[in-house]
Amino acid sequence: MADNEAPSSSSSNADKGKTASLADAISSDNSPQGETGNAIEIRNLVKRYRNLITREWITAVNDISLDVVQGEIFGFLGPNGAGKTTTIKALLGLIFPDAGTIKVLGRGPGDNDAKRKISYLPESPYFYEHMSGREVVAFYASLFGLSGKARNKRVDYLLDLVGLAGAGDKPLRAYSKGMLQRVGIAQSLVNDPKVLFFDEPTSGLDPIAHRDIRDLIIHLKTEGRTLFLSSHQLSDVELVCDRVSILYRGKIRQMGRVDDLVAGGKVEIVAQDCKPDADRIAQLKALGGSTEQIGDDILITSSGEVASKNAIIDWVRGVGGNIISITPTRRTLEDIFIETIREGEREAGEATHFVEGTEAGSRS
Amino acid sequence: MSTIWTLASGTFGEAIRRKILLVFLFVAIALMVIFFAFSEFSVREDLTITKSTGLGIITLAGVFISVILGINLIPNEIDKRTIYTILSKPVRRHEFLIGKFLGGLITVLTNTVLMGAVFIVGVWIKQKNPEWAIWEGVLMTFFQLMLLNALALLFSVFVSPFVNFFLTFFIYIVGSMSSVTESLATPDPHKSPFVVYLFKFIHSAIPNFGNFNIQNPLIYPGTVVINMTQYIVQNMMYAITYTAILMLIAILIFDKREV
Repeated sequence: MADNEAPSSSSSNADKGKTASLADAISSDNSPQGETGNAIEIRNLVKRYRNLITREWITAVNDISLDVVQGEIFGFLGPNGAGKTTTIKALLGLIFPDAGTIKVLGRGPGDNDAKRKISYLPESPYFYEHMSGREVVAFYASLFGLSGKARNKRVDYLLDLVGLAGAGDKPLRAYSKGMLQRVGIAQSLVNDPKVLFFDEPTSGLDPIAHRDIRDLIIHLKTEGRTLFLSSHQLSDVELVCDRVSILYRGKIRQMGRVDDLVAGGKVEIVAQDCKPDADRIAQLKALGGSTEQIGDDILITSSGEVASKNAIIDWVRGVGGNIISITPTRRTLEDIFIETIREGEREAGEATHFVEGTEAGSRS
Repeated sequence: MSTIWTLASGTFGEAIRRKILLVFLFVAIALMVIFFAFSEFSVREDLTITKSTGLGIITLAGVFISVILGINLIPNEIDKRTIYTILSKPVRRHEFLIGKFLGGLITVLTNTVLMGAVFIVGVWIKQKNPEWAIWEGVLMTFFQLMLLNALALLFSVFVSPFVNFFLTFFIYIVGSMSSVTESLATPDPHKSPFVVYLFKFIHSAIPNFGNFNIQNPLIYPGTVVINMTQYIVQNMMYAITYTAILMLIAILIFDKREV
């Protein structure tokens, strides 16, 4: 993919012409931002569906509220069936909330002025198969009123950006899944959007395509766009997102900055020559540390808090030991995700279906 | 308007490549060619049967093409999620629906013109001279199919393609028997008023597909239509008005529909 080398759609001189052409074709920016500077505002959103067979109401989204500030990459996480896609569809005006309010760029969902500034990449997107990649991107560009040379320039730029410059004229039926996903991303950038909704953008891709698309998301982040990202690829989310929320059974169970969520890990202290008696071991446990003998050394694990760390270092010295190493261990977003979902399951009184070590995306 | 046209051309490009529609088109053309090639009747019989059969084949193939196309236009977009990327662009729902309808209509028109061309060439060869009046029959068939396409599209916004297939066909058959429903709706001392009102309702509400059947005056030159132009224009206006009403209802329903 040429995204690293390709000029930014809003930053480089080369692309300013393209952006200007686009601006000429797309009506002037009269869509106000949210009064609070938020790109997305959701307040007490509720969405229910009725089971056609049992006639029971199912709450897909249960009173969720969140804000996404402009320029932020927001990870919207949750197991399958948690209500992620339902929320995104409500944000786009494809479905209608039963309760609550939604604003995207200060406008209600489905507002045409707001839609000029946003874009959506659904999971496993499908396009008209008779078209080539170039025709598909041109088709979506036409929906923004682009035509003629301005459209062709924009299409060429986007195909180059997503790494399809050499394959743009092939019919879609000859495309791999990764290539289709790249076409999907190209169509999502056709209007130089301020807010992007990506639903599982790397689902089912090979490692190369996966990496390319992740890099492209990072590239979009550097351009200051707002990205609402739903993904099961937690390592990617941890890498690219500023904040995340974790949804389970339609409710937000966890929300915050990624750095804050993964902080608060433990510290591993390796010491030698420690000769603690039973009282000293009890004292260590009281300090919140646990020990494990590794050969002649002792491994002490404690919380990452400074006070706890210092108390354990004092304890080691107190038993005549020497510190060999102090290593902070970091929690991953996957750890947080699993803890959150397990907690949700416990609260819901469910039997746990989680299997340690499996990919988060395969759980539901 | 450019949005509607973009959607219509995308729909046409997709629809014209649908194998099942191509099968109906080629079978219809093949049947006409075979019929023209092997029919051996007296001159009068030959032309009567040829015209009747040719127009019948065009209508039948056109009905299948219109129904299969119409019932799938919207559900296909939803199943394949194309609708999400389209409606998340600055496309209003009514523009989407009209674009899909026009794309379907252009497909039906293309198929009808192709079949009509084969039909007219066949008659030309048999008759040794062209009979352009045949286009009047083909034109009426097209307007009939336009109405049918709108009907299928209307149902497609709230019922499944399977149910829609039978529903549209049922209405088409009832609508094609307009002379029967009209006579049943005529007050008669022997008829219950309920039956009369019921058939009056059916006759008024269900599109009158029978009106588009121009085969009789075409095949029986003895049948006199006092003013053919007026007959055709009236039917065209009827089809356009009815189609507009069906599309308006479809738009109102689709505007509230979740996708």
